[in-house]
Amino acid sequence: MIEKIVDPEKMRHFPPKGGKIELYWVYTSGRAGEEFFRKLREGKFIAAKCKKCGHRYFPPRIYCEFDFSETEFYEITGEGCVEAFTVATLDLNEEPMEEVIAMIKLDNTDGRIIHVIKDAKEVCIGMKVKPVLRRPEEMKGNISDIAYYKPV
Amino acid sequence: MAVGRKKISCPPYAEGTALSEKDISERRVTLFEDHPNLVYSWTAGQAMSRFLNELKNGKLIATKCEKCGRIIFPPRIYCELCYKPIDGWVYVKDTGTVQTFSISYIDPDARPLEKPVIVAVIAVDGASPNMGIMHVLGEVEPEKVYIGMRVKAVWKPENEREGAITDIKYWKPLEG
Amino acid sequence: MEVEIVKGLKFHKKQDVAIVGAGMTTFKRRLLETGKELSYFAVKQALEEAGLDIKDIEMVVMGSAPDAFDGTALKGEYLLDGAGGSDRPYLRVFVGGGTGVFAPIAGYWHVASGLADVCLVVCEEKMSCCHPHPQSAFKYIWDPILDRPLKPNLIWIFALEMRRYMHVNNIRHEDIALVSVKNKANALDHPCAQVAEKITVEDVLNSEPMALPVRRLDVSPPSDGAAALIMVAPHIARQLTDEPVWVTGVGWALDTTHWTNRDLYFPRYVAEAAKMAYRMAHITDPRKQIDVAEPYDPFDYKELHHMEGLGLAKKGEAPILTREGVTARDGDLPVCPSGGLLGVGNPIAATMGVKACEIYWQLAYRAGKRQVAKEVTTGVCQAWGDLMQVGTVMVMSNKR
Repeated sequence: MIEKIVDPEKMRHFPPKGGKIELYWVYTSGRAGEEFFRKLREGKFIAAKCKKCGHRYFPPRIYCEFDFSETEFYEITGEGCVEAFTVATLDLNEEPMEEVIAMIKLDNTDGRIIHVIKDAKEVCIGMKVKPVLRRPEEMKGNISDIAYYKPV
Repeated sequence: MAVGRKKISCPPYAEGTALSEKDISERRVTLFEDHPNLVYSWTAGQAMSRFLNELKNGKLIATKCEKCGRIIFPPRIYCELCYKPIDGWVYVKDTGTVQTFSISYIDPDARPLEKPVIVAVIAVDGASPNMGIMHVLGEVEPEKVYIGMRVKAVWKPENEREGAITDIKYWKPLEG
Repeated sequence: MEVEIVKGLKFHKKQDVAIVGAGMTTFKRRLLETGKELSYFAVKQALEEAGLDIKDIEMVVMGSAPDAFDGTALKGEYLLDGAGGSDRPYLRVFVGGGTGVFAPIAGYWHVASGLADVCLVVCEEKMSCCHPHPQSAFKYIWDPILDRPLKPNLIWIFALEMRRYMHVNNIRHEDIALVSVKNKANALDHPCAQVAEKITVEDVLNSEPMALPVRRLDVSPPSDGAAALIMVAPHIARQLTDEPVWVTGVGWALDTTHWTNRDLYFPRYVAEAAKMAYRMAHITDPRKQIDVAEPYDPFDYKELHHMEGLGLAKKGEAPILTREGVTARDGDLPVCPSGGLLGVGNPIAATMGVKACEIYWQLAYRAGKRQVAKEVTTGVCQAWGDLMQVGTVMVMSNKR
């Protein structure tokens, strides 16, 4: 057996100040996502309904995960009611922030959306909210095209 | 239902919508770009810490296993064949033999390089056969490299060494 | 040191395993669909061929290679609903490039152990998410202390292995280039092919140098795609068809990541995995008893390297077989009749579509224009990956 190194000065980390791996990712939205964001540019929300079992998916999908049959898209208002919420005080890098994040059950679907609530004096479960979209020329084609939700 | 039927052609159809490079770079489809900010630092462990410290002194070190008699390089604190701890440290020379080599024209992101890099696996003298490391060759023309060539390490000056594998700048052919 | 572990292994199993359906999507450099949607298309095609519904599936195995490509950590969980994993036991396996044959092996365990009678195997890969180039994700694979400071590209290790193989066996690049010519021509008959074309040996030798001796036409491209397979127990197979394709042998083996300590001219890990699979399948002379083979061919020299590892050719003999036309579709031992990865594309794990699925279609006589000329009874498919470490082998037969 050899003697182990126990002096912390002799133990090495490499690279000493940390190394970064240079990568970035570009995600396409898929067939259902393309349709959803195109309709959002026109100010409309869509969801998907399974042709066989009738389950109403939001966000929309092109297949039903339970019976693997096709779905058809249909329009919804985008309004919903708050099922749960939290006040976030730290962001991704543990810097201070203050935002109300809520899980909103959308009307006429079996699905929910996670988004930010603004312009609200107080937030409670069961509160009705509606979306505020960005202007079409500012839309980028991802979920931030919905700027925030506000009380009805 | 195709099961049981022969002489048909499978797969019967190919689903999928192909995109071109311009569809992504000119944003003709909706997409989301994410630039992560992750930084890593790896512990070298027992064997590699000693290895890196010795590199700073300008020496190469290996470990030996008494049971199978191998001198193992790069060093590790266990012999993976006998599955027991190693029995001691041994210094090895900084000369070696080229086992295989390649001349690379691309960088890690698949972009072309101006000057090609000659990379080789070098079996180090003093260790058991086939105990090699990967490193780059220098001071030699790409056409003159061959398997079996004898090479010697060229070190950075002592004040520039930081305890990393790059303390050896490259390996050059041993004359004579 | 050769270690004869395989002799002591016992191959007890509860029931035999048959394959009754397979499916795959197209393979292209970048696809619009998300990973979930691709998995859905492949599974739908496999269910159609087998005549089954998603409710008949009892368990699901998903195979998908590094999370770094899709950019989604926990990729198996992400792909779950598209792969039919809702409401049933679901498992993700990952062994690098070997996943293409390792996922069906994991599906085999599910059925052979008697835990399930119908198991769905899905493999999916979306390499196009990774920028600036999918190869950048391979920066993670190297040892952080010994290799990464030298800024290596993954092609380097293949170039080093190819040079060693050519040197020890005294083979010229022209003979190796014949494999690329054969596979890209074979792929012209595959509906999902990405880079099928008719080329010559001169085209290969004059193509852009990447890391000599490897040139651009020696390499398979990165791709997006998905594939699926359905494995069933014998009593279910009997209800669906008179002639299912049986899985007769499986084997897998890994070698150390200290790849600089190995002599690279012979793939020992493939030979170990093949020994295990052949022992299970009672094959004693692979060259005579195997009728069609799909070894993993991300590079042209890899097909030859793996043929020798699988025992289909003696050491150094594989290029001679290629030159004499023995490995062509109308030859005595057709190798990669689908066009392999060089012709159809290389979406790491989804290569199951051109390896395991292709042998299944050949043995079921359903490969259409790609069907080999001779009569086939036994076939072998093999995958390989990581830092040249893993060999996974599966032997199939249409006679029990």
